[in-house]
Amino acid sequence: MGFATVFKDDVRNAARSYVVVGVIGVFAALVSLVFIAEIDVYDAPFRAIFDASFLLFMIFPLVIAPLTYLAIAGDRSRGTIKFVLGLPNSRLEYFFAKYVSRATIAVAAVAIATGSAFLIAALFYVESPDFVRFLKFLGLSALFAMAMAGTFVTVSAMTRTRSRAMIGVFGAYFVLGPFWLGFIPVIGLDTVVDAITSALGVELAESTRQLIGVLSPSTAYLESTELIYTGVFERYRAISSIRSETDYLADRTWFAVLVMAAWATVVPLLGFLRFRSVEVG
Amino acid sequence: MTTISTDGLTRRFGDVVAVDGLTMTVEREEVYGFLGPNGAGKSTTIDMLLGFKKPSAGSATVLGEDVTKRSRAVRSRIGLLPEGYELYRNLTGRELIASAIETKGAHDDPDEILDRVGLDPDDARRAVGDYSTGMTQRAALGVALAGEPDLLILDEPSSGLDPKGIKLLRRIVRQEAERGATVFFSSHHLDQVERVCDRVGILHDGRLVAENAVDDLREELDAGATMEVDVDAVPDDLGMDDVEGVGGVTVDGTTVQVTCRRPGAKMPALRRIDDRATVEDVVIEDASLESVFEEYTAEGIDGSAEGSADATDPQRQAAEGD
Repeated sequence: MGFATVFKDDVRNAARSYVVVGVIGVFAALVSLVFIAEIDVYDAPFRAIFDASFLLFMIFPLVIAPLTYLAIAGDRSRGTIKFVLGLPNSRLEYFFAKYVSRATIAVAAVAIATGSAFLIAALFYVESPDFVRFLKFLGLSALFAMAMAGTFVTVSAMTRTRSRAMIGVFGAYFVLGPFWLGFIPVIGLDTVVDAITSALGVELAESTRQLIGVLSPSTAYLESTELIYTGVFERYRAISSIRSETDYLADRTWFAVLVMAAWATVVPLLGFLRFRSVEVG
Repeated sequence: MTTISTDGLTRRFGDVVAVDGLTMTVEREEVYGFLGPNGAGKSTTIDMLLGFKKPSAGSATVLGEDVTKRSRAVRSRIGLLPEGYELYRNLTGRELIASAIETKGAHDDPDEILDRVGLDPDDARRAVGDYSTGMTQRAALGVALAGEPDLLILDEPSSGLDPKGIKLLRRIVRQEAERGATVFFSSHHLDQVERVCDRVGILHDGRLVAENAVDDLREELDAGATMEVDVDAVPDDLGMDDVEGVGGVTVDGTTVQVTCRRPGAKMPALRRIDDRATVEDVVIEDASLESVFEEYTAEGIDGSAEGSADATDPQRQAAEGD
């Protein structure tokens, strides 16, 4: 009973918020915009999926940050948690109901955006959209959404003020996204790894370096999207560039999916283990 | 039978001792007033009773369960109205109460509870975020009442309520006690505690400095009552010297003021005056709990005169209208 009621209340409370509706709408609009902008550029809709997946990698964590950073920290700072835990809800039920609730909203945002993109592709692209490719895009993006939502809700559970939760969530986004991928020159994971190996006087195997590189949910998501383009890598140069060329574990798409699944499950579990002993009030 | 029992319950925050060796018992079907100024440690005590905070030392049982080990079992049998909270602002009052009923596995009718706490059907179907403070407090009280709890924990329950709401609160507290529930009524509003509670514990700087029935507390401090008797003419000898329980006599014009240390002293003193003069009017004022409280804490509530006879204070207005 506890999980179901906490989940239901949280979803209803969030779904009636203009912020949630606005955020989902903006994300759907952005993805739709990518597809609309490329109507006259590419014949095949899967090429637009490729660009949309990069948008998702960069923007989506920022989109769901406002939906998640106050999931638990907000309840703690406002005292709402006393109401929920004053009822016979366990902390396990409360924590996971919050996570599943926010992840559901994030997945709903992805589903609406994908549905909108499919519709545009069906109506305006030269080639008909491949339903299976869109379905794969939806599935992988949903898993990425769950991984990021799980991470952000965990950060939220570890903080008791709004400001710390916000800093924590945006910090997590930066480290797991732009920093891990090396988006900003010098400030990247590679630089740190180089510094450490140099300090220790050791050399890192390329396979290990790539393995570390794919351990973030964001980089794992990009790696996993290779699954979408089975059989059509050669149609576009951009897509062929992401095709795996080695037998390294980091280049296996199943491993990338596994990494995202771990972030979606193990991180929230660790978050709960921390949350179960925090003091309320 | 004991509903709440604490033994040396202590909570420290660094060097600050918020609750210091609290030992108390609250019996079943009792309305227990937990009185103290802000910062006395009342909410921290409640947090420990609910398992929200861990005691630094000592122990507590609620409804026979160890609060540190069986907090959920405790919470399944209580109704809580906490202090300083926000409800989910996009849910309606009715949804919140229905959710509490569902969580407790109870079969209450949410509309009956809404009616009991005085939220009309139209308001009950509006989002809580649009409620006034008083309406929010009524909805929160409704959540606490869900599932007919064995113990009702109310932390500053009259906050934000208007005089009508305060009267309603008192009525609900009495109804709950009559039903067989124990009520733990934490407040710094003396009038409320005085009017609804069977017994009072006074907390000051984390320590329980007094615990007794309100009348007994007054008696302990010789703070019983003052009787003002208007007579046609004040006789030379009022004959009060041998009336047991009379603490002092003063005369102002044709008014005789008699301080009675215990309730039983009033009638003998009045008869003695009536033997010697024609009594025209009598006014009896019990010493307020505030005077008792000040004796124990050596300060007013919050260091101010809150709780005193302020005509604009809703607490006082509700008391007068009761």
